[in-house]
Amino acid sequence: MSTFLQTLFVGLRLGSIYALVALGYTMVYGIIRLINFAHGDFIMVGGYTMIFTVPVMIALGLPLWVSVFLAILVCALVGMATELVAYRPVRKKGTSMTALITAIAVSLLLENLAQAIPQIGPNPKVANKIFAAGGIRIANVTLDWTTILTICISVIVMVILYQFTQKTKIGRAMRCVSEDKPASILMGINVNRTIVTTFAIGSSLAAIAALMYIAQYPKVYTTMGSILGLKAFVAAVLGGIGIIPGAMLGGFVIGLVESFTTSYVSSSMADAFVFLILIIVLIIKPAGILGKNMGEKV
Amino acid sequence: MRKLISLLLVLALAMSVVACAATAPAATEATEAPAAEATEAPAADATEAPAALNEPITLGVISPNTGALAVYGAAVTNAVDLAVSEINAAGGILGQQVNVIKTDDQFDPAETLNAFNSLVSQGVGLIVGSVTSGCTSAITGAANEEGVVLLTPSATADSITTADDYVFRACYADSFQGAIAAYYAKSAGYTDVGVVYCAADTYSKGLYDSFAAAAATYGLNIKAVESTASLDVQDYTNQFASMVSSGVQFVYAPYYYDVIGPYIVTQARAAGYTGIIMGADGYDGTPDYVVEGADLTAFNNVYWTNHYDPTDTDPLVQKFVAAYTAMWGSTPNAISALAYDAVYMYKLAIENAGSAEPAAVRDALANPATTFSGVTGTFAFNDVTGTPSKGAVILSFASDGTSVTTKLVDVIKELK
Repeated sequence: MSTFLQTLFVGLRLGSIYALVALGYTMVYGIIRLINFAHGDFIMVGGYTMIFTVPVMIALGLPLWVSVFLAILVCALVGMATELVAYRPVRKKGTSMTALITAIAVSLLLENLAQAIPQIGPNPKVANKIFAAGGIRIANVTLDWTTILTICISVIVMVILYQFTQKTKIGRAMRCVSEDKPASILMGINVNRTIVTTFAIGSSLAAIAALMYIAQYPKVYTTMGSILGLKAFVAAVLGGIGIIPGAMLGGFVIGLVESFTTSYVSSSMADAFVFLILIIVLIIKPAGILGKNMGEKV
Repeated sequence: MRKLISLLLVLALAMSVVACAATAPAATEATEAPAAEATEAPAADATEAPAALNEPITLGVISPNTGALAVYGAAVTNAVDLAVSEINAAGGILGQQVNVIKTDDQFDPAETLNAFNSLVSQGVGLIVGSVTSGCTSAITGAANEEGVVLLTPSATADSITTADDYVFRACYADSFQGAIAAYYAKSAGYTDVGVVYCAADTYSKGLYDSFAAAAATYGLNIKAVESTASLDVQDYTNQFASMVSSGVQFVYAPYYYDVIGPYIVTQARAAGYTGIIMGADGYDGTPDYVVEGADLTAFNNVYWTNHYDPTDTDPLVQKFVAAYTAMWGSTPNAISALAYDAVYMYKLAIENAGSAEPAAVRDALANPATTFSGVTGTFAFNDVTGTPSKGAVILSFASDGTSVTTKLVDVIKELK
């Protein structure tokens, strides 16, 4: 029983992180149909921002998590800059494939740029303890407060995002842009501004994900976003990319599969099972668990 | 304006691609005047005349200067710089000054081979490197083919050196390092032990194998074995929960400092594991990688094996520690000590051989009569495999809750 609980809690812990990161992927994809591979690296940017601002918070006597607001600011700026400098010019000239390759290039560029900054450098950095330890104890197994908080934040973010895209003017503009770009221009929607806003929100999500990630796994390094981003991307695809609740579902499925494989099958087979599940789900339901098959618009 | 931005973008893209493809040559830097033509071409043709006297001797260095293990890269290059500056200040080797060409392997086997090839193409015949077993194993074959002497400071995997070739190491091998851990478990009175290791890493897997072999010899019972598929794994809770349910009080976990500090120790304690966590030389540097503000008493009861201890009162050790601290402002770790010894081993071998020609240096190193006294002990390559016979120290971490320090537990000269 305690093994099962322990495994479940580890799965939830991993899953909550994947879900939070996957929300960022799915958000951007939902609006501009671009898989933003640099999203994982935005998390790295957020992580380093917090590493450098936490000492300031300590000096000011503020709680350490307040530094997430600075991280949100920095990430949003980096996200908007990426859109303005890289994605927009490429989108204008090329196809969706060019945009995809650009996203991969931006990802590598961010990783290597970060490494070239002397204050960051190649060495991993270890974050301070952000939230107090402890949690709920069931049958001698602890579910950390941080995990519960991550799950709550993911749910809140999911609900807000969903309501935002359904109810607000900007949100409706985003959905219009995603459905038909030329028509939304005719309707008087500023497409470029809408897309920049999308990137700002998506990148801010990366900063929140970075906070929850380093609260549980306190190591920050320049390539931290690559594996994390890949798993979260898989989660988004598994749940149905572009569908906001799907990202959360996918994140938890991946986390739980990883954890249960480690405990009950073989501890070195976790990743193999994650990707096996992905293939099986995509064979049965190509659009993802919550995805609907929609015909290509002509 | 638009044109300009897209032009910049293309440039940035091109640069990132080039940066990936050509890291090895780009990362190659000569600290002193590159003396490619001064060193003799590697002994592809061993009948060539040895390098003329008074031309500098060039040592190549391959180390992970960037990437996850950059601490080790800096440890090696700092120690080599120290040793070479000492040697050059004292008149060089056989009256020749020593040059160093440093390359970066990024803790990536493919980049290690690139770095090696770039050194060979610059005519380097004597190389210190690489640091990790995984990277070094990528170039041992090439070193034998090219006839280039490879002296790794710290690659401990048994498979790195084999009989009658150009590959040597300054450290002991894993079959010894894993055995010390098993020996310690037995002498501390543990009979049931567990192992958590990384199945995809040469170092971690090699240590697990040697620990398991020695455990059989010492009559230890390995009750639980768990593994991880990569060194990028962040969560080790399930693995240690399995150790708890099997009831073991001694777990051998051969990982590197960047996993031990932030992840393994705290997660193991959170999973309810209170017994001994034992590791190997990869734990060196852990105190700089612990989470500030967390309960660091988790680090009590963590033991590890290492090559030397900076508090050793041996005059050679104290002289090295003082010189290193004066030059770099920090206490040298074991990798530094081994890299420092590696340079002096080359010096001794070149002096014994009377030339810096790779084949001659190889023979001088392999000669069992060549006894070397260094920071990490007094030893010779008296088995044919290019691994020295030397002792080890057992260290432990101690914590008052807010910081972690290292203390010496035992010095083991040989296994009984």
